[in-house]
Amino acid sequence: MAKTILAVDDSSSLRQMVAFSLKAAGYQVVEAVDGQDGLDKARLQAVDLVLTDQNMPRMDGLSLIKQLRGLPDYQKVPILMLTTESSDEMKAKGRAAGANGWLVKPFDPQRLIEVVKKVIG
Amino acid sequence: MTRKKILGSHVKRLLSGVSAHGRRHLSEVETDLLQTELLLEEAIDKLTSSFLAIHSAVGERQAAIDRLLAGGRPSAEDSAALAAMSGEIGSHVNTAITSMQFQDMTSQLIERTLKRVTGLRDFLGTLDEHGADIHAETGSEEIVERLGKVSMALAIQSLELRSVLRKSVEQQHLESGDIELF
Repeated sequence: MAKTILAVDDSSSLRQMVAFSLKAAGYQVVEAVDGQDGLDKARLQAVDLVLTDQNMPRMDGLSLIKQLRGLPDYQKVPILMLTTESSDEMKAKGRAAGANGWLVKPFDPQRLIEVVKKVIG
Repeated sequence: MTRKKILGSHVKRLLSGVSAHGRRHLSEVETDLLQTELLLEEAIDKLTSSFLAIHSAVGERQAAIDRLLAGGRPSAEDSAALAAMSGEIGSHVNTAITSMQFQDMTSQLIERTLKRVTGLRDFLGTLDEHGADIHAETGSEEIVERLGKVSMALAIQSLELRSVLRKSVEQQHLESGDIELF
């Protein structure tokens, strides 16, 4: 059965590109428009990996990670940040919040798939 | 200090504060717009190359496709070219996907510029509001007091504006970014 990835980004074109790339590699993708929407969808449906942007309205990526890590079902689910943010300070915050990796935009679809495969197979 | 000197120092402080605030923000606007221009130019160049490469990859196989449609047998060369088509086009599509992410980055830069422009407009509005309370017959002590108030209000607005303008996009090119697994 195909693994499911929750892709959270407020940019619709970015979500489309992430979903296109992941679906082409055989993954199922659930899309969310911001952190709050991502949290709501994660509560409704179990996913194998969360891929989230940082700067979004309503709830940012770091807050989403903290909320998810507080849910019993998401304590061990891999969470990757996919963001334009590239500072060491932000990466350290991500790590402290519970992220398992940091991908700086723009992403290359091939490299994204390689990382996802490495993390969830 | 004489009343005249006190008034002069308040006016000087206000003018230099307004000037420093305006120049700092306009310099940042200039930097963000130049960065936006760089990203847009590179995106257009790369997307044009990708689309032309896709068109060319399909066009090069057209003769082989025509031979197959006419019932002919593909040569070994035709078979190899058709078998490699998906991979070749996939590679150009991947490059295009990386370039298309310019929208995400430039929209953040434009949003930051808009916040800055709005903040500058509010800043000038505050200056205007306080200035409207000063009349030709207003005494110098009252002018000093009002100038002190406007300087304080502008300093607070300036700090508030800076606090919402953290830069989240440092990228100057559309090369794929770093990946780090923790």
